[in-house]
Amino acid sequence: MSELVRLTEITKVYQGGVTGALNGVSLTVEEGEFTAVMGPSGSGKTTLLNLVAGLDRPTSGSVTVAGSDLGPLGETALARFRRDHIGFVFQFFHLLPNLTVLENVLIPAQLKSRVSSEAAGRELLAQLGIAELADRYPAKLSGGQQQRVSIARALINRPTLLLADEPTGALDTRSGDEVMELLRQLHRQGKTVLLVTHDAKLATRYAARVVSVMDGRIVDDARLETADREASDVIKVRGEETR
Amino acid sequence: MTAILVKAIADLRRRRVQAVVIFVTVLLSIGTGTMAVTLMSQTRDPYQTAFQAQKGAHLQVTFNPKTDPKLLAATPAAIGASAFGGPYLATGLEFKYGDRKYYQNTFGRDTPGGAVEVLKIAGGRWPRANDEIVLTRSFAELNNVPLGAHLRVTSVPQTPMLTVVGEVIDIDEGSADLSSQHAWVLPAAIPALTTPDSRFYAMDYRFPGDPTSSQLAGYVDRLRASLPPGSISGSVNYLLIRSIFNITNQILTGVLSAFSVFALVATIAIVAVLVTGIVISAYREIGIMKALGFTPAGVTGVFTLQIVIPALAACLLGIPAGTLVSQPLLANSSHALGLPYTPSFSISLDLLILVAGLLVVVVAASLPALRAGLLKPITAITNATAPRGGSGRRVRRQAARLGLPRPVILGIGDAFARPLRAVLTVVTVLIGVATVVVAIGLPRSFLLINNSETGAGRYQVLVSRSDAYPDSEVMRILNAQEETARVVAVGGQNVVIPGISDPVNTRLLRGDSAQLGYMVIAGRWFTAPGEVLAPKGLLQEAHLKIGDQVTGSVNGEPLQLRVVGEVYDISNLGRSLFMDLATMAAVRPAIDPFTYYVTLKQGTDVNAYVGRVAAAQPDLIDVHASDTSIIAPVKIIDSVLLVLAAVLALIGVGGVFNTLLLNTRERVHDTATLKAVGMSPRQVIVMVAAAAGLLALVGGLLAMPLGLILHHMLNDVISSSAGNDTPPGAYAVFNPLELGVIPLLAVAVAMLAALVPGRWAARTNVVEVLHSE
Ligand SMILES: Nc1ncnc2c1ncn2[C@@H]1O[C@H](COP(=O)(O)OP(=O)(O)OP(=O)(O)O)[C@@H](O)[C@H]1O
Ligand SMILES: [Mg+2]
Repeated sequence: MSELVRLTEITKVYQGGVTGALNGVSLTVEEGEFTAVMGPSGSGKTTLLNLVAGLDRPTSGSVTVAGSDLGPLGETALARFRRDHIGFVFQFFHLLPNLTVLENVLIPAQLKSRVSSEAAGRELLAQLGIAELADRYPAKLSGGQQQRVSIARALINRPTLLLADEPTGALDTRSGDEVMELLRQLHRQGKTVLLVTHDAKLATRYAARVVSVMDGRIVDDARLETADREASDVIKVRGEETR
Repeated sequence: MTAILVKAIADLRRRRVQAVVIFVTVLLSIGTGTMAVTLMSQTRDPYQTAFQAQKGAHLQVTFNPKTDPKLLAATPAAIGASAFGGPYLATGLEFKYGDRKYYQNTFGRDTPGGAVEVLKIAGGRWPRANDEIVLTRSFAELNNVPLGAHLRVTSVPQTPMLTVVGEVIDIDEGSADLSSQHAWVLPAAIPALTTPDSRFYAMDYRFPGDPTSSQLAGYVDRLRASLPPGSISGSVNYLLIRSIFNITNQILTGVLSAFSVFALVATIAIVAVLVTGIVISAYREIGIMKALGFTPAGVTGVFTLQIVIPALAACLLGIPAGTLVSQPLLANSSHALGLPYTPSFSISLDLLILVAGLLVVVVAASLPALRAGLLKPITAITNATAPRGGSGRRVRRQAARLGLPRPVILGIGDAFARPLRAVLTVVTVLIGVATVVVAIGLPRSFLLINNSETGAGRYQVLVSRSDAYPDSEVMRILNAQEETARVVAVGGQNVVIPGISDPVNTRLLRGDSAQLGYMVIAGRWFTAPGEVLAPKGLLQEAHLKIGDQVTGSVNGEPLQLRVVGEVYDISNLGRSLFMDLATMAAVRPAIDPFTYYVTLKQGTDVNAYVGRVAAAQPDLIDVHASDTSIIAPVKIIDSVLLVLAAVLALIGVGGVFNTLLLNTRERVHDTATLKAVGMSPRQVIVMVAAAAGLLALVGGLLAMPLGLILHHMLNDVISSSAGNDTPPGAYAVFNPLELGVIPLLAVAVAMLAALVPGRWAARTNVVEVLHSE
């Protein structure tokens, strides 16, 4: 397995921030891993993810993804990098309200090239079980459906890395489970997934590695034996959590 | 109330760019409007004032020299005039000053005062000796003839010298650039300055009240009846003089008011777009304001005030500026009338404009603001701001079919995401581009007409002879020049036409006159004696149409005429006739031309030619190169049009800019998302510019027909105010390529204006925008 993401001594201080949102974080993610970043609200999880996606720049330290150092890249190069390598799934979906489901899904592909990717888009929608929603508008969809659309959008360019920031945060338990099940399938198909959540149950249930963040520092990095644990393991973990 | 003001001012600070857009737009339109209103309110006044002060003549009549002066002295009583001047013995006078020669009707008069046509002395004094002459100031200024200048009279064999001792303002003739001028000497001086052919009598009449055109016609008819046939050789009434005097300002006020309405509509559109935009983007805030206890009226007030404050500032600057800018135009007309120029403005009028301007802005702002006022707090707090659903979908589909890049398609969809806003923006573009079309077209139409009137490209040299020098000699000199390609000679004679009170000025042409470039609007040029052309004004007034026969009269003798065409001619506001000299020779065998239009062979040095011909007869003929430059009033109109085009184009740009600003602000969240999924900054700019480009393209394309129609209409209005139909050539001054390029130019300008909001959008900080969700 080769290394896909490398964060070296990252600090991030927001403008007007008293303490850093991230304080000396180093982390590597291997290709094909399903990693969960876990921590309480305000601990710096989203900040970390944004840095990996090249949406923001660290105050110090370096971010390398798929062999390229993001530091020296300009805005345009970063945009191209995101298009080519990153699929982003947001807590609040962030679908464009005036575009149809299919149009939303196709956007990243169309920004990348003018070759039509409509067939690929429809196939993705079918895989995610929402083929019949292709021509609907986001406002008319349930949260779970919207999140599937956003996952389809994240996948359309066959990204090397799938980032998900609280993908279930705005969903009820059932839709949340369905979305997580999808991510698991994608991981099984070989996708590298970096999941951010403050929910320990989710983290431990789906991820093979759980990185815990607290006050902008990594406090724990646990590799679980297998991502497909026995139901009993899960229950045990749950038991520990809810203690 | 203070809460409303405080909130409005705080909002204003936050929306500085919008405040600037409103300020500039209102400034430009209120300035234009003020100019229009100021000019309109003052145009008629100065002439009327001067006319009363100088006891202007309602009717000026010239009589055959054989008429008995005693009979003339009895005419005022016979026709019911309330005052009169004359009879004055007068003469056509030619004189030389420098190397130019001039022709003026010169009147023998003892004093500048009297009961009618008081001459106001603007410089110098009235003549005391027989070798002194007084000119109009208008003539003196136009031709640079100073007081003390010595004029050599060339129309009598003795060629006496006259000294200019005074300059006067005469309310009873048009300015020197538009009409020929009068001059005055002592009555005793006339006999030495005249020949039997060039002398005539003149009378001025005033009537009770302000006689109408038909009353004046009645007076002329009665006058004609009271004298032997053929006694009246010419007459002019004050209505014509007033129209000639006012025509420039009339056209200016017409153009200005039409375009101020445009500016107003564009401003209303921009204000409405802006307030709707602010309300949409402030939905949540409105909910909070209501929760805090703002009443619906209070909320409406906050949003209206945000517009009214910058609009008020713009009015406070724009109204004085507009008043100021219209001063040179007003000063121009006061000067022509010899009225002391005092900066003329009326505080009450300016206040009225202020109130009206603000009222329009308030109404335009408060209608959409009312929507905010009436919003239910809960809807307001929970409603999202971006347009939802299928807006712009069809446009996007079409664009996608064209294979356009995705950022362009997205931009195009955004352009029409809010249909009302898009329509209003298109209206502002439409108005701006249409004005540009008019401002390009009208000067060209004017130039075309100017060229036809000045013979540009048709003849290069104008020669006129003194009465003392025979026609045959002039022709001999001209024909002796090897470079002479063609000579068309022109004479004049007034003809009485039934139905027209004043004898009609007639252009008698000899030679290949069809080549002079007069514009035939209908029918054809004359080819045989007895055939005549006339402008619309005369045809209408005399109830004639092409093919009609009419019997005119010259010195009491009948003259058979047949109308074969309608010609364009603005002299005397379309009261003129064009015919072959031979036609007149039938009743006046002795008539000779006095002006010669000379066409030179290709490549001739015009100045050398002029010099040579002038040297052949230095005293008795005037030779000069034809002046084809545009007359001052048209230059003024052209430049006002240019300013208007700039103003309205700027407002159009403001409209597009404003809309893009609102679109990008409302879409900041979508833009952040697009950037997150890989849209590059350049692609964001392309997206915004595409929206601008589409709005400008639609507006620009619609503006083409509108601009052409407007150009057509303005041509018609201007031509008809000068007593003519528009010559077809004046409509067709655009080439198709140009009409294609103008909308593209609009697109380019709009895209340029899009760079500012486009850059902002491109710089959207994804993390911050998505974080604040
Ligand atoms: N754009 C920003 N500007 C300023 N401070 C920020 C910004 N984004 C995050 N922060 C601060 O940085 C710290 C880390 O924030 P971050 O969003 O990464 O936390 P998180 O772990 O994702 O929290 P949550 O679970 O609530 O989403 C917080 O203290 C937060 O207030
Ligand atoms: Mg977060």
